[in-house]
Amino acid sequence: MESSSTPPTRAQASAALAEAEATRAKVAGDVVLPSWFTTSMGAAVAVQIGATAVAVGDGPLWVLAAGLVIFTVVAGVQLVRFRRRNGVRLGGLADRVVFGSGAVASWSYAAGFVVAIAAANAGRWWLVVLASLLAGAGYALAGRRWMRTYRAAPQEHGRGTPAAWLAASAIVTIAGVILLVLLR
Amino acid sequence: MTTGLDPHFVAPARLTLATMLTAVSAAEFSTLREGLQVSDSVLSKHVSALAEAGYVKSRKGVHLGRRTTWISLTAKGRKALSAHVAVLRDLIDGIE
Repeated sequence: MESSSTPPTRAQASAALAEAEATRAKVAGDVVLPSWFTTSMGAAVAVQIGATAVAVGDGPLWVLAAGLVIFTVVAGVQLVRFRRRNGVRLGGLADRVVFGSGAVASWSYAAGFVVAIAAANAGRWWLVVLASLLAGAGYALAGRRWMRTYRAAPQEHGRGTPAAWLAASAIVTIAGVILLVLLR
Repeated sequence: MTTGLDPHFVAPARLTLATMLTAVSAAEFSTLREGLQVSDSVLSKHVSALAEAGYVKSRKGVHLGRRTTWISLTAKGRKALSAHVAVLRDLIDGIE
């Protein structure tokens, strides 16, 4: 067919395009998050924010490192589980859901982080816990929301930000957190 | 051949394969095979043809202890597919 010089008829073109788009929709519809995916990411974010707040509030530095390690391990394990379960890689999932670059996730994180740091500096530990948990919950909900968005338009949301850009953002974020602790 | 149609995407299976790849960053060979409902050899042939044109790239990996191949659409392939689909839509709408 590749070498055929006969152009497709309108009906053939329509059928080929409809088939291709239906298959793409099925691929996106079949993508599922492994069990506890968004919940574990939300919990990891809550732990990371809480640990950072403890470290900034005159706690030991290893607590900060432990928070970052827990987040990294949970994120890595969940991405591998996702890949194994679905047989696809979704840059948009890593970007928006795991690293939280989507609007809801990033605002949840930023608000929780700022409140938790302020609360730690004021010695209000109950507020540190509350802010961390709320930020984690927002992060988890944003992940579920993203999946619905992805399924509606997979060609727009599947790829996400290039990995190199994500890595650079992660390095800048970690450097910022370390600076925050050093300036305490 | 209708002007603007990319010969690499004229085969419906190749159009479907490339369109599937627009939904993901990369897909395993077996995932694509199941989606297209074709044999390994048929899929290999389509992937090779698109890879030769620079439209897809493949990378070896390991899945559950076995070797596997990940296929992804290149920027060139994405652009060519968009152009091809635009021509198909014009044809369907009777604009040619």
